[in-house]
Amino acid sequence: MIVELFILAILVLLAGTLLPLAAVSQDRRIVRTISLSCIIIASLLLACLSLANLFSGKPVPFTLYQPLPLVSLSFVIDRLASFFLLIIAVVSACVAIYFSEYIEHMEGQSRRNLLCGSTSLFILAMVLIVASANTLSFFLFWELMAASSFLLVTYEYTHDETRKAGIFYFMMTQLSSLFVLLGIIVLYVVSGSLAIAPLTAASTPLVTLAFLLLFVGFSVKAGIIPFHKWLPYAHPASPSPISALMSGVMLKIAVYGMVRFLLNVFTPDLWWGVLILAAGTASAVLGIIYALKEHDIKGMLAYSSIENLGIIFMGIGLSVIFTASGLPDLATLSLLGALFHSLNHAMFKSLLFLTAGSVVSATHTRDIEHMGGLAHRMPVTSALFFVGAVAIAALPPLNGFASELLIFISFFTSMAEVIPLYKVFLFICLALFALTSALSAACVIKAFGSIFLALPRSPESAAAREVPRAMLIGPGILAAACILLGVGALQIFALVGFPVPLPDMLLVSLLLIGMAVLTYAVLYFTASREVRVSETWGCGTLSQRASAEYSGHGFSEPLDIIFSAIYRTRTTNERKFFDQKNCHFKEGYGEIRLLKVFEEYLYTPIAKKSVLVALRISRFQNGCLDTYLLYVFITVIALIIFLGWFA
Amino acid sequence: MNLDFLLYLAINTLVVIAVSPLFVSLIKKIKARTQGRQGPTVFQTYYTLIKLLKKEVIYSPNSSRIMRVTPLVTMAAILVAALFVPLVFVPEPVGGIGNIILFLYLLALARFFMALAGLDAGSSFGGMGSSREMSISSIIEPTTIIVFAALAFVFKTLNIFDMFTLNASTGSPSPSTLILIGISLFIIIIVETSRIPVDNPETHLELTMIHEGMILEQSGRNLALMELSAAVKMTVLMALLINLIVPFGLMTTLTLAGLLIAIVVFVVKGSILAGIIGLFESSMAKKRFFQLPSLFAMAFFFSTLIIIIAVFS
Repeated sequence: MIVELFILAILVLLAGTLLPLAAVSQDRRIVRTISLSCIIIASLLLACLSLANLFSGKPVPFTLYQPLPLVSLSFVIDRLASFFLLIIAVVSACVAIYFSEYIEHMEGQSRRNLLCGSTSLFILAMVLIVASANTLSFFLFWELMAASSFLLVTYEYTHDETRKAGIFYFMMTQLSSLFVLLGIIVLYVVSGSLAIAPLTAASTPLVTLAFLLLFVGFSVKAGIIPFHKWLPYAHPASPSPISALMSGVMLKIAVYGMVRFLLNVFTPDLWWGVLILAAGTASAVLGIIYALKEHDIKGMLAYSSIENLGIIFMGIGLSVIFTASGLPDLATLSLLGALFHSLNHAMFKSLLFLTAGSVVSATHTRDIEHMGGLAHRMPVTSALFFVGAVAIAALPPLNGFASELLIFISFFTSMAEVIPLYKVFLFICLALFALTSALSAACVIKAFGSIFLALPRSPESAAAREVPRAMLIGPGILAAACILLGVGALQIFALVGFPVPLPDMLLVSLLLIGMAVLTYAVLYFTASREVRVSETWGCGTLSQRASAEYSGHGFSEPLDIIFSAIYRTRTTNERKFFDQKNCHFKEGYGEIRLLKVFEEYLYTPIAKKSVLVALRISRFQNGCLDTYLLYVFITVIALIIFLGWFA
Repeated sequence: MNLDFLLYLAINTLVVIAVSPLFVSLIKKIKARTQGRQGPTVFQTYYTLIKLLKKEVIYSPNSSRIMRVTPLVTMAAILVAALFVPLVFVPEPVGGIGNIILFLYLLALARFFMALAGLDAGSSFGGMGSSREMSISSIIEPTTIIVFAALAFVFKTLNIFDMFTLNASTGSPSPSTLILIGISLFIIIIVETSRIPVDNPETHLELTMIHEGMILEQSGRNLALMELSAAVKMTVLMALLINLIVPFGLMTTLTLAGLLIAIVVFVVKGSILAGIIGLFESSMAKKRFFQLPSLFAMAFFFSTLIIIIAVFS
């Protein structure tokens, strides 16, 4: 049953990919609608089968195609896979609903058909990665995902910015594939099989190497610092629904890979967990600190994805540490926290990217300093964004809090268990985690305040109108999921059979509502009910101007100054004078520049070195036939000597 | 959800609302006395709240629904948070009520709405207040969480109810540990309730203001709610400190006589702590805003140090 549903979903997605390709020259809405409907239908199928499998919990293995005994496209749908299939299904369906309207307002005429097709292909690739039972198909679809997402990122290739972002993204994603491939090869060398199955060999240097390679490969894809730089480029460049898919789902595929290999292949050492936890903590803190500085709304969301993926990696790292220290209960708890946060992040981040897309299409700018006052003009969008904002700020009773609470609880409980040296390390990580979650609240207040509250700061923002209904339904479903997953967290965990020490958020929500109603009732009977809408204190000005408002820059300025050591702002100030005593000023030049630390100290030097090496190698390619004949000759001689020596 | 717990909900909420304005005025009184002034009566905060309830509410034309729901949400969040810290009577915890992390994040929920409301009217004062409040609350967060983690470690539980019961019975940890944690908690109270040297609760229209700037646009009954919720928040944090350090008088089984005694004992203990806070404030000057991070860093290292001592001893 599950296999048939799965194959049906794959076929529907394939149809969604091929149909727009067949009708590539026709700029008709119906083509795109059918293609996107295919995604919605396939998502529903996937959601059904993954829910069924989550509850039954039985792994369902099957093989689709086996040309050689060793080489096969075989799949297995177990609980972990169905969990990630569920994430893919929910987000894809909502994005497709939203996209069906959004795409009609995009440029590119019939090229938009291709966009629909690539989206479908992209989702197909992710579905197949998650279901893969061997490393070969895993890598094959991993590449397919990389290639199709590249098409999506570079859709608006006419902009210089997008082209740059696209190439950057392509390089990084290929880097990820390279490391994953190397890791898989090393695994093959160790185990002699392509299956994703537990290694029998103990932790030898080769196994460690395989882990490190896979870790780097997945970290690049997940945007873990220092491999994060592609996110803030790719997200602003790509269309908003695509950003929602990439941030909501594609990053989770990297998490899936990490969890899958850690659980099913390796028997991790303690220091692996420390490494993952340290990388996760660094990403979480630095990600949110960079997000605070960002004023491009999609750039900010991209940095916040880095932060949230950091939190997920923290959960995974904790789980590895606990497994290696022989604390299976705590390990399960923190792994559940990481997985639950993956689900929650998929929900609220796609919600935020979709509503941000609505805001951008209504105001024609991505700069939050040019927005403002949209709460009056786009009431539904602002309410939806607000739900996402509360969720991402990890505030009760929404879902972001529930999953961060799980990780907090495993931190708190672990203090009594692990050895003293790790205790100190965990204390530091815990403190940084708390800082992260507090800063993320500050960050979303800045975003929500600048975008939706107060007066509009540009004519475009003043003229903004609410978006069409389809662009509200998609995010609406996600917002409902955010509330449901938060309020019912304890019940949901009980339903799938994992008793977790979470507080009953349903009770807390009821208490919150009860207290609010009670307060309202008491006020209604005791207090004055008069309400007046009038100009409040405006510092003596006759009418309030948007330019006098507190801006997003202003809002984050104190934190900018406090964390200035991390931002590495460089102030240059050159002055020239007419006289030698420096009295008579001639001309001057001043600049405040934000150092892009990772780009300037890590990425560019490596890129420069690679270019140098490439230049050297390219000398061998001189295009002259004689040279190539010489190469062939040398190779043959070398082969003969080699074989003569060893054979 | 048993009868005891329902009674607890009512008792705790009523007691905290009733006594919190008293503590606010007491601190003001103490500060006035140390400055050589007479100061308003200790019932002044009650009078102010009643006066505010009678006044009309004024909304700026720029403000959105956020401004209208914030007072209610803030009050509700703080009152639910207040349920997490038993003042006079500790029942059996129900459904994870009393979880120390959830307690912290309910306070954060209230702060989140307040900060948004500060931005809502578009006045620069509100924005300034929000911005500073969020900055300060972000950088104190590591200290808070470390102290709470230490509490959880020392008492081997995440639930405040269990900590209090354990503390009231024989299983209380060594007094030295408690005193060390008490000092850290005291710093957290000072920061979280916007007191000198972090913020000056007396100033309204100055550039120093943080919390008061954020609620500048509130008026009438909404302002009353904001003031009351700030008072309740302070009382709850004080109660956390009091009932951990001096659990004397705290009831674990509900009786009427015991309740009355417990309330009186709590008011006395709270007044003493309010006096200490007042004296502490009077002995300090407000720090410049950008000197606060170093103060917090000090608080962080101090609390980490004592926790390491507590954890490894």
